[in-house]
Amino acid sequence: MAILNLKNNEIQCKIVYYGPGRSGKTTNLEFIHKHFTKQVAGKMISIDTHGDRTLFFDFLPMGLGKIKGCDVKAQLYTVPGQVQYRATRELVLKGVDGIVFVADSLKVRREKNMMSLKDLHENLKKMSIDIRRIPLVLQYNKRDLEKQGFPLMPLEKMEHELNRQLKVPSLSASALTGAGVGKTLSQIMKLTLKYLQKEFHWAQDNSS
Amino acid sequence: MNFGEKVKCLIKEAELYKTQGLLNESLDIYKNVEVLIEATQNVKNKDRFLAKIAHKIDSLYKQIETELSAPKPPRVSEEAQSVMKEMVAPDEPEAKGSASLASALALAKFGQFDQAIEEFTQLLATESLRTDAAKNILWCWVQQDEAEKALGRLKQWMSGDVLTFDELSGVRVYLEDLIRQAGLDTRVSKDKIHKDLEPESEVDDEDILDVDSIRFEMPRGERKGETAELEVSFQAGKYLKMLVPKKDKRLIADLNIGDYLSGMTFFSPVAIFSGNGYVSSKVVINAGPKKGDYSLEIKILNIQK
Ligand SMILES: Nc1nc2c(ncn2[C@@H]2O[C@H](COP(=O)(O)OP(=O)(O)O)[C@@H](O)[C@H]2O)c(=O)[nH]1
Ligand SMILES: [Mg+2]
Repeated sequence: MAILNLKNNEIQCKIVYYGPGRSGKTTNLEFIHKHFTKQVAGKMISIDTHGDRTLFFDFLPMGLGKIKGCDVKAQLYTVPGQVQYRATRELVLKGVDGIVFVADSLKVRREKNMMSLKDLHENLKKMSIDIRRIPLVLQYNKRDLEKQGFPLMPLEKMEHELNRQLKVPSLSASALTGAGVGKTLSQIMKLTLKYLQKEFHWAQDNSS
Repeated sequence: MNFGEKVKCLIKEAELYKTQGLLNESLDIYKNVEVLIEATQNVKNKDRFLAKIAHKIDSLYKQIETELSAPKPPRVSEEAQSVMKEMVAPDEPEAKGSASLASALALAKFGQFDQAIEEFTQLLATESLRTDAAKNILWCWVQQDEAEKALGRLKQWMSGDVLTFDELSGVRVYLEDLIRQAGLDTRVSKDKIHKDLEPESEVDDEDILDVDSIRFEMPRGERKGETAELEVSFQAGKYLKMLVPKKDKRLIADLNIGDYLSGMTFFSPVAIFSGNGYVSSKVVINAGPKKGDYSLEIKILNIQK
C-alpha cells in the first residue's frame, strides 16, 4: 500500500511490472533507468544469476516531481516470470499500488501471456485485491520485431485475448528501442495517483 | 518460399528466440528444421547440415538443463537486501517488533539465509518474538538441507537458557515436522533427533527411589495445566515407563517426545518428591493384549531437595 507522509507532503507508491518470463520487464526498467535520468532517484538494483534471468526482482526508485504540492515517489519493481518463482512473485506484489502487465507479442508466447495474467489474477485474489479495481495497464511489447518479419500476434487479437474483460488502457511498445516505455509509465502513474486520491482523499483541497 | 529460404527464415527465428532466452521455443523450431531437411531430397551437403542442426539442438538441451537445475540463491549486496526487507516491512513504528520479524523473514524467503539467521538471532532477545525467531532460524537451516545444523542449534538452546521449557517443546515439535516435510528424515531419523536432543539428567541412577506413580500437569492442548496421574510399570534408574491405554486419547495426543514436565510429583512407597521430567519416548504397542496402547517414557531430569 502506498505510504502517505502528509507531514512531508510526500506520497510513495509501488508499481510492479508483471508478465511472463522474457517478455521485457527488465528491459522496460533498464530503458527508464537510462533515459529518464532526471526522475531516477537512485540506483537500479537487479538480482540475477546466470546471464540475464531475473532471479528475484529488479528495483528502481523514481521521483516524479510535485503533484498538487505533494512529492510523488514511485518504486518500480519487476517480478521473475518463471513458473518456479511463484513465492517471489507473491512477495514482490505485497502492497502493490499499480501494475504494468508486460505481454510478449511473439506468437510463440501467446499462451504464456494468458497463463501469467491468470497467475496475476490469482495472486491478487489471495491478497483480496480485485484485478478490475487495481490500477492496471497492459503493454504489448516487442512490436519492433514485426518489421523484421518475425511472427507476432496482431494487436487486435492480443487485445481480444487479454483485455476483453479487463478493458484497461493498453499500449504497444518496444522496450528495446524505448518506444512506448515512457508512455506506459506515465499511464500507470496517472491511474495510480487517481486511485490513491480516491482511496485516501489525498490531495484534496488542503485548506479545509 | 523455396526450401532454402524457408529454412533460412526458420533458423533466423530460432536464433532470435535463443538470444531472447526463449530456449524451448528455439528448440521447437530447430526440431522442425531437422524434420524438414530429413524429409527433403537433394539437399546439398545434407549430412553436414543435419549434423550442424543436431549440434544446435544438443546445446539448447544443455542450456535448458542448466537453467532448470536451480542453483542456490546467490548472496546479494547489502543494498539489495535492504530492498528485500523494506519491500515487505514498510516502516511502521508501532509494529516495530513484528516488522523486524517480517523483514528478516523476507531475507530468508529470498534465500539470504546467513543474514536472516543473524537477524532472527537478535530477535531471540524479545520475548514476544522468541519462538517465531527460533523456528525461523531452524527453517533457514532446513531450507539449505542442513538438518544437522538445525539440530545442533536446537541442542544448543536446550542446554542454555535462551528459551524456556515450554518454548523449547514447541520449537522442537516444529523442527521434527519441518525435517519430515523436507524429506530429510531419511538422513536424520526421528531416533537420531530424539537421541541427539535428549537433555542430560542431573541425577544419578542410584539416588533415585523406586517410583510407583507420577503426577504432572499437561504441558499443552485443551487440558493444558490440568493434572494427570500415571502408574509406573517399569523403572530403570531415572527412566520411568508408563502404560497409557488407547482410550486416553487426549493424553496420548498432547504428550509428545521432547515435552518438558516441570513440577512433577513422584510417589514412592517411602517418600514423595518433586522434580522436572522430560518425555523421552512414546511408542504405540503393536502386538499382544495391550495392542494399541502407548508406552510412555519419562526421564527424570532433576529432583528438588
Ligand atoms: N526485439 C525486442 N526484444 C526485446 C524487447 N524487450 C525485451 N527484449 C528482449 O527479450 C529478452 C528478455 O527481456 P527481459 O527484459 O530480460 O525480460 P523479463 O524476463 O520480462 O525481464 C531480452 O533478450 C531482451 O533484449 C523488445 O521490445 N524488442
Ligand atoms: Mg527480468
